[in-house]
Amino acid sequence: MRLSYPKRIFLTALVMLISLLMIMAALWLPPVDREIEVMDSLFVIDITDSMNVEDVSFGSETITRLDWAKEYTRQSILSMPCGSHAGLAIFSEARSLILMTPVEVCANYHDLMQMLSQFHPTMAWARSSEVSKALYTAIRQAKEITPQPTVVFLTDGHEAPPVHETLFPKFTDTPGEVPGVIVGIGGSDLVPIPKTNEFGEIEGYWEINEVMHKDVYASSRGDAAELNNNRPRTEHLSSQKKSHMETVSRRVGFEFISSPTSPQKLIKEMQKISDTRQQPVKYDLFVWLASIALILLLLVFLPYSLFTKQHE
Amino acid sequence: MMLFGLEWAFPLVFLLLPMVLLPWFNNNLDKTVAWTALVPHDPLSRTISLTLKVLSSVVIAALLLAVASPAIPERTVERFGEGAEIVLLLDRSRSMDDAFAVTTQAANYSVAGDNSKRRVARTYLTEFVKKRPDDRFGFVFFSTNSINLLPLTYSKEAILNTIEANSLGKGLSDTNLADALMNSALMFEDQPYRGSRIVLLVSDGGQLMTDEAMELITKRYKEMNLSIYWIYLKARQGMTLEPSENDNILYTDLPERKVHEFFKSIGIPYRAFEAGSLEEFAAAMDEIDEQQYQTLIVEELVPHEPKADWFLWLALLAMLPLASSHLYSYWGVRKAHE
Repeated sequence: MRLSYPKRIFLTALVMLISLLMIMAALWLPPVDREIEVMDSLFVIDITDSMNVEDVSFGSETITRLDWAKEYTRQSILSMPCGSHAGLAIFSEARSLILMTPVEVCANYHDLMQMLSQFHPTMAWARSSEVSKALYTAIRQAKEITPQPTVVFLTDGHEAPPVHETLFPKFTDTPGEVPGVIVGIGGSDLVPIPKTNEFGEIEGYWEINEVMHKDVYASSRGDAAELNNNRPRTEHLSSQKKSHMETVSRRVGFEFISSPTSPQKLIKEMQKISDTRQQPVKYDLFVWLASIALILLLLVFLPYSLFTKQHE
Repeated sequence: MMLFGLEWAFPLVFLLLPMVLLPWFNNNLDKTVAWTALVPHDPLSRTISLTLKVLSSVVIAALLLAVASPAIPERTVERFGEGAEIVLLLDRSRSMDDAFAVTTQAANYSVAGDNSKRRVARTYLTEFVKKRPDDRFGFVFFSTNSINLLPLTYSKEAILNTIEANSLGKGLSDTNLADALMNSALMFEDQPYRGSRIVLLVSDGGQLMTDEAMELITKRYKEMNLSIYWIYLKARQGMTLEPSENDNILYTDLPERKVHEFFKSIGIPYRAFEAGSLEEFAAAMDEIDEQQYQTLIVEELVPHEPKADWFLWLALLAMLPLASSHLYSYWGVRKAHE
């Protein structure tokens, strides 16, 4: 079908007029408010000795668990929409130490990365690694922060000294009151743990006779002591303690994800459990308006003659 | 993607740029004429028709470029401001968990909450940071091994939240003053001299340092042109950093006096404020605030500026004559067909 000449002229004039109005709207229409979901998070990174084990793959390289944790934290912060907040904390000994309470991720990205890059085994103030207790302190401190952040706890789950299955430190708070995710790091094979000296420098590996292999409290209890005695002496070696972290996360009402491959996995998990906030952002519609004007104009100039039968 | 000094959010739109040629290759608007020789030769019409094609191309190109969303990328500009570059060195030792400025004996032994020295320091430092718009702040993590946790930054949010975090939880068992002082100086290493450089130490005690450490600190602080401000949170009301005549014999060998002596001996600007009460603490902060307004080179981050408007204006300017001409043709054609 071919439009008559007057019709074509009419349609062209109409399209030109609409395009003109669209361009004007693109220039002068004020930005509209759009709501996006943002959340507050607190990344707690394990900096104990077992995190120096090189058994996680990153691309084609094998890197230390700590480096992986830092890189994963960086990517996760980068994946959060602007307006989200992220804080940083480290854990060593039996407690978590918050170093920066949550700040807006886009405006403070540089500072967050600066601080993250400083996280080093040298910061550890003691040479033990009591994961459960550290997790409890992280939860307790998260409650002191307003708005309360979702805790992301990055660890390999290695408890040193070991904890007996029945003699866990008590969690006195309400499970799930503070939402959180434990991110498990590390390979599944038992490997030697680099040992750091008092300056945090790596000096050889932990030897079998330098670490405790049993829960000391269990030793004094008849029934538990028996079980304790049958344990293999492997506490100087480390792997990702998945079942332990699953137990711990159930106890405190956290989610557990093991060796996630993309930051999206964590973000999705966090969105499910966090109290997200709606944050209005200004959104300029000019791209849409200019696109409409453009498409209309192109409609005028498309070579229709190629598709329609030419009149003789 | 960067191109022509601009950052383009949707560079793939460039692939559509050949579309600008469309107006030159179609005759959608041509009128079928029985015999072209009948059409009079009219140079003005030719010029107008050419102009309209050019205008159409310009509009399409301008709209495409606008849709690609160009922006001037984020950049830093330097300007002169007034203020200083300040490294905060907050004592994180256990004793900082004790109550500040206690008057009763009983309170001395209770676990302090909101009035612990660490929290009091948080309150006043927060107020101080907020009062100083141009200052750059850094923060040293003060533990067994100190770490330059937050290198000098202009972000008030970052430093305030670091100070806030410092007030949470319990103190650390072991702190190393000499190491922390050394690291504070390192914050300024490889930095151009922008203005007054200050290490602000807030602590409730001193530590003995080795001679080597003191020598090294002296050298560094002199080289780097640093000043030290020490807000000393007094535990005992009677104790002063300067020896006095009717001194308690117990005070003479206190580490804090040794540190005070050492700071004086470095030969750099040094002020000690002995705060025994909240009022004194506030006064000390105010005095530092007043003293430190020297010229400072401030780097400011200019956020990225969208510049699609340039192209939208171009599109608008080309669109106006184009649309009017088409409206005019429509009017003419309607008249002719009436």
